[in-house]
Amino acid sequence: MVLSAILLGFKYLFKRPYTRMYPYKEKAYTTSKTRARHILYLDRCIGCRACQFACPADAIKMYVLEGDYPKNRKKIFPGIDYSRCTYCGLCVEACPVNALVMTNYTMEHLITEDKSTTLYTPEMLSVPPKGEYIVTLSKDTWKKPPSPIPKKK
Amino acid sequence: MVIRMSKRVISIFLGPQHPGAPGNVAFKLLVDGERVLDIELVPGFLHRGFEKMMEYRRWDMDLVMSARICVEDPDHVELAFTHALEQIYGIEPPEKAKYVRIVVAEFSRLASHLLWMMHFAGPIAARYATSWAIAAREEILKWFDYVTGHRIYHHYIFPGGIRWDIPSDFKERTLKVLKHIESLIRDLEKGFFKHPIFVKRARDLGRLKPADAIRLGATGPVLRGSGVKHDLRKLLKYDAYGEIDFEIAHGEYGDSYDRAMVRLKEMYISMEIIKQAISKMPIDGPYRWRLQPAIPAGEGIGRVESARGEFIAHIINKPPNKFSKPLTPYRVKFRGPTMAHLTTVLKHIVRNEEITVADLPVLIGSLDPCPPDIDR
Repeated sequence: MVLSAILLGFKYLFKRPYTRMYPYKEKAYTTSKTRARHILYLDRCIGCRACQFACPADAIKMYVLEGDYPKNRKKIFPGIDYSRCTYCGLCVEACPVNALVMTNYTMEHLITEDKSTTLYTPEMLSVPPKGEYIVTLSKDTWKKPPSPIPKKK
Repeated sequence: MVIRMSKRVISIFLGPQHPGAPGNVAFKLLVDGERVLDIELVPGFLHRGFEKMMEYRRWDMDLVMSARICVEDPDHVELAFTHALEQIYGIEPPEKAKYVRIVVAEFSRLASHLLWMMHFAGPIAARYATSWAIAAREEILKWFDYVTGHRIYHHYIFPGGIRWDIPSDFKERTLKVLKHIESLIRDLEKGFFKHPIFVKRARDLGRLKPADAIRLGATGPVLRGSGVKHDLRKLLKYDAYGEIDFEIAHGEYGDSYDRAMVRLKEMYISMEIIKQAISKMPIDGPYRWRLQPAIPAGEGIGRVESARGEFIAHIINKPPNKFSKPLTPYRVKFRGPTMAHLTTVLKHIVRNEEITVADLPVLIGSLDPCPPDIDR
């Protein structure tokens, strides 16, 4: 009993620790499905406010932008408060024109000591992140579902 | 039982900041020296008012919020809510979604039981077991990130199926994760569950007879630890559980040791269920039906066997009036397993047994409480 316990302890003595030294030494563990920072395509957005109505955390507010946007007559675009966002992805699911997508980039919008920097205006959302990222959630994630829905017997 | 207050009998608080308390709850204890005479739960430190908030939001937003009711085992709350809504809509999810749902739910059970190891092995001073269990749970969280997109709150099980399709190398990756955590759980069994110190601490502590367990409203591993073979997965055969062959883990004596061993056996059974579900899962086919945002009038009840016990979601929706169709449910009610375990069951054990202050964290740990689901 004692010998087997010591052997079992030795097995774990030389294992690499699971702790990740995030964010200073290592990046966060992300996969091809991780939902994190959004990217907003200003040229696609039609200002329908579907993302605002879909947000359960009230993180999205609409902002008026100056400029020439032929698809968006009201010139209103979503801005996201990342201190409220829960990354559920309902806004991406609600967007009818694939203007809002999610990437797996989880760095400076999450890790900050200053809470005022977590509010992302439409201009800030439209700039892609500086580091490496892939688009993980967009309208292409969902195949067109078959219809009609079969009823329960 | 009438306890006479005297100079010897004093009342003290345990929690919510105490390391022996299982999270955001406090207990009011009546102690006579080392012996605990009576215990009373003081909840309400994590009340967020989800049930009321859900009346003002659409069902997809409600589902995203429902995962937060039990932090450690969020998928079963989503599953209960999903079943209730599917009952109102009167639909059956696609065949593929049924299998993926039980794989996700069983992984959630595994992650929850491994996190319970941390709360349970800590008071017994087995720090090695906590770190091994967390290492095994980390692999599951990475698997969740790879399938659902998030580590803790997944929002993956959705009314009408699952939210998006599984990745192409789902089977290989899942089996690899299972192989990894199985070796860690076997080490835990060898190094912790069969350890003489653990056996001495947990044996004969907090015995609950089968009749008492049923009478006091215990569910899940606490009920099965007392020897009652009651499992909603077998009873209701929801989703694809009817297609899967598994046995119900149960104890005999009903003490803390039996409850712990039931959870260990359940971890092995969960892995077996996942392996069977993966082999029987259809590769192609639809995975989700799109539901209309307006909810039909009706009433739905979803009952699932979560890691801690029976979880019920009850949704009532009123018929549409002449102006509009309702987008939000009229009333949502959840029933979590922890309230019964920390009030009636714990009180019964403390009043009928000699429990010392040192034994109390072990006893509470063996009931596996999840304080967020008391307060909601």
